[in-house]
Amino acid sequence: MSEVRQYGELATQLVMESRRSTQTDTLIKYNDSLVRSIIREQRDLEKAIDALLVEGRAPPPGLLIIQTAINRNKRCLLAYHSHRVDRLRDMYWAVGGALPHILSNQDIRSKMSPHEVDYLRQYNSSVMEFRSEFSHELDITASITNPPKDLHVLVRVVKDCGVIQTELGSIDFQKGQRFMVRRADIEHLIVQGYLEEV
Amino acid sequence: MDWDTEYELVKSGRYVPEPGPSRSAAPQPIPDDDADADVFNDVPMAPATTTMVFDDEEPFGTPLEQLTRHWMNERHAPDILPAQEDLLTNLLDHLRRQSEAVQLLRGDPSTSEEEHIRIMLVQTEVERVKFIVRSYVRTRLFKIERYARFITTNAEIQTRLTAAERDHASRHAKITDQHFYLSVLQSLPEKQSHLDDTPLFVPPMITEPDISRPVFVHALTKCPRITLPEFVLLFSLHLQDSHSLTARCF
Repeated sequence: MSEVRQYGELATQLVMESRRSTQTDTLIKYNDSLVRSIIREQRDLEKAIDALLVEGRAPPPGLLIIQTAINRNKRCLLAYHSHRVDRLRDMYWAVGGALPHILSNQDIRSKMSPHEVDYLRQYNSSVMEFRSEFSHELDITASITNPPKDLHVLVRVVKDCGVIQTELGSIDFQKGQRFMVRRADIEHLIVQGYLEEV
Repeated sequence: MDWDTEYELVKSGRYVPEPGPSRSAAPQPIPDDDADADVFNDVPMAPATTTMVFDDEEPFGTPLEQLTRHWMNERHAPDILPAQEDLLTNLLDHLRRQSEAVQLLRGDPSTSEEEHIRIMLVQTEVERVKFIVRSYVRTRLFKIERYARFITTNAEIQTRLTAAERDHASRHAKITDQHFYLSVLQSLPEKQSHLDDTPLFVPPMITEPDISRPVFVHALTKCPRITLPEFVLLFSLHLQDSHSLTARCF
């Protein structure tokens, strides 16, 4: 191999991706190939350690360097995944816990790894179980950004969302129309971007 | 006055609610024009003329005021504060009963125009209380998810959570670990596939609440001077906020 790399260089790239994701506030595509290369590097480092350790002799100082590189790579890998999972959870709450809304979005879906999709499903069922504690009184997944000032809200339909049951009976929300409706009935549609407050 | 008795009285028309029924006046009788500017006022007030020392255990204000205070404390504390299960259950029960009563009155054709306006006010207030409850619960949930692994290993912190919160914490710790294992750890060599490494000079793998983070306190009542374990205070607390917050955070 002509390419010369320092230990942990790939892991730095991975962490840089997390940082970019935070700075630009976007979900970046799961970097499967980079993760795989780092895992390969970890295996090589482990072999290097085995080669250095010779029975009956004191461990050479080089061992310390390799061990540090291993620890660092591992932490970077975990940090990358943890950062992504945090991001996904934020996205999940931003749409009021509407998992299908995230998973049916092809753009987002293509940026997630299969394990992350599984993770979100499990997370969703865990949250739903917690939510059921409060189901008689309120929906804890509703918005907590602005306290409600009015019972009713004037909305404009941005995307067709079909017939919705409201206090005034069922309303067929079609793009371009305006309605005065009870906030609690359609809050989740505002959060998911179907309706827009006027 | 108790909520329900108050509600019954209002319904029977024998009692006219005072402005801002969800905000009680301070425990001491105070002039009317001050009624809204009691405990929630953050601006320095005139020095209290009477000395009031409240027990930590003794609830302060109406249930909604208590919840608002717990909500503010929870949002500002780095650690997870004790759950207010009884308070929350009572409030939620009350919300449910009130919503049911509102439904009943709205359906009643004999309800007058003026009463409809009152009903609307009640509904709006219900929505606003729900907002606080939601925000409070979600704040706790956020911290619980963040410290999920720590919670599963620490018995003391578990006593501060409700059963549902504990369950969520252990579920969360489990699915996160599982995710790490499937995405990373299972492909690493056997020796590296653990989540509890403690290498030197590296922060621990389990995130713990940072209880050394400074917090602001607002003195509700006058209380004796207290000594904090670490001498970081530049001013003497001559009025003092809730003990639990300061004691744990400093």
